[in-house]
Amino acid sequence: MNLWRGTCGGAGLNLNNGKGFTGAPCGTTCIARLCYFMIRLENVSKMYGNETPAVRDASFDIAKGEFVFLVGPSGSGKSTLLRLINRQERPERGNVWVAGKNINEMANTQIPFLRRGMGNVFQDYKLLPNKTVFENVAFALEVIGKPKHVIGQQVPQVLELVGLSGKEDRFPHQLSGGEQQRVSIARAFVNRPLILLADEPTGNLDPATGEGIMALLEAINKTGTTVVMATHDHRVVNAMRRRVIQLDRGVIVRDQERGVY
Amino acid sequence: MIKRISYAFRETIASFRRNVTLSVAAIITSAVSLLLVGATFLIQRAFDNLLVQWRGDVGMIVFVRPDVTPEALTFIEENLKSQPNVIDVGKIAYLDKAGSYEEAKRVFAGDPTTLSLLSVETIPSQFKVVPKTTDPELVRSLATQYRTLPGVAGVSLAEDEFDVISTLSGFVRTVTIAMSLVLLAVAVILIWNTIRTAIFARRREIEVMKLVGATDWFIRVPFILEGLIQGLVGAIVSCGGLWTLNKAWTSGVAEFKAGTGVSSLVVPGSYVNGVMIALLIIGAVAGGVGSGVASSKFLDV
Repeated sequence: MNLWRGTCGGAGLNLNNGKGFTGAPCGTTCIARLCYFMIRLENVSKMYGNETPAVRDASFDIAKGEFVFLVGPSGSGKSTLLRLINRQERPERGNVWVAGKNINEMANTQIPFLRRGMGNVFQDYKLLPNKTVFENVAFALEVIGKPKHVIGQQVPQVLELVGLSGKEDRFPHQLSGGEQQRVSIARAFVNRPLILLADEPTGNLDPATGEGIMALLEAINKTGTTVVMATHDHRVVNAMRRRVIQLDRGVIVRDQERGVY
Repeated sequence: MIKRISYAFRETIASFRRNVTLSVAAIITSAVSLLLVGATFLIQRAFDNLLVQWRGDVGMIVFVRPDVTPEALTFIEENLKSQPNVIDVGKIAYLDKAGSYEEAKRVFAGDPTTLSLLSVETIPSQFKVVPKTTDPELVRSLATQYRTLPGVAGVSLAEDEFDVISTLSGFVRTVTIAMSLVLLAVAVILIWNTIRTAIFARRREIEVMKLVGATDWFIRVPFILEGLIQGLVGAIVSCGGLWTLNKAWTSGVAEFKAGTGVSSLVVPGSYVNGVMIALLIIGAVAGGVGSGVASSKFLDV
């Protein structure tokens, strides 16, 4: 079963919306109808309890291969947006489309297959402390049932990509913060996802190390992976000059190409 | 597929190691409760052996000599039917030699010496009589009268034989069933709690598994397996206990004098085996269900 090879949904086909056009077909069955947008939010609102909404009436499209920053102060709804995209949360109102599928209408049994096309990177890395670097990355492939020979091939490749060759047998506590984040990126990318969601990936790192992580995310983006990164790190946003979506108390206040913080 | 199965077993064993104390507690509780369930079955069966003769409110048994003439047999039956005030005439039942021999096999289950002396040819046949009256003296006087009839080998009265045992059997049965049910519930709750603890200990891992796209069942199966194995191991322990218990009981009963009735309280091996299989199934199902509920509730997958 592969959700990422389905037909295009009704949304994501707006050919006159010029922004971010890549012309890439989203799957084998819809070559004639080009699927534009990897991610589309339509008037999405999310509330936690009865308090003010975490996200209010958010709409945007993210094209395949784009690199997007979600910026804003703590509590402005950046993380919630990411959690809506990988369906850790469901919105009260509005629709979230990923690769042409309305993921709010998706059955729970389909969610694991949706997530196999996404990588997640976190501020606190979320590595498993009792597993080595190799095992942490291999784990992502093991739990989706990849055969051993595939794991033995793909894990060293991705570890080389993130610059951790030779440290396969270290445990997370034997690595620096930057190295741990590289392991987490390797784990997110080892399955070659179409989307990489990063929540404050440089939040715990010093500027120089953060730059290294950003270079890595950029390299991953160049392979065609759509990257959505939540951050409040001015320096990385200003240095990269990519699309910036700014949030303030759950509302999108700015959506700018090649923006700064 | 084999890879998945071996993964599930590896995880199950690892989780057991992480949680030895709780797992052992769950196993012991399920073992004790299942042992009680099994003992209840055996006790019931043992008393049934003793009471098999007296099923259906039979209050008096008239044993007929095996060499009785047909005329004498008819005479006895007519004598019984002539007492409609004391005896429920409609319920008089005649158990012929073959039937009596089948019954004797259970009555003398623990007394092979006596049983070997009996055969279908030499065994007395019997009339089972249900008294109508509640006055035991009336039945007793009738019994005295029947003993003198030609062809009658003897008359047994229910109240002489088993009144105490019958009452005791009902009481023991109720108590053991209640206790075993309570303990079984405790075992399920303990297994449930063990699984909850195991899930809590691995919540980071589970979070990562969910985010990289592991299916719910892939995450759940090792936990369900863990509970199922706990229940099953508990059941195996209880089977061992039950076997030992029955062995001790059988040899204890054998020391009683034959003919005291106690020797009937022996449970045949085939029945014990059946009970053991039932215990294994109950243990596995209880453990599997307990952990299945816990994993669905706490994984929130």
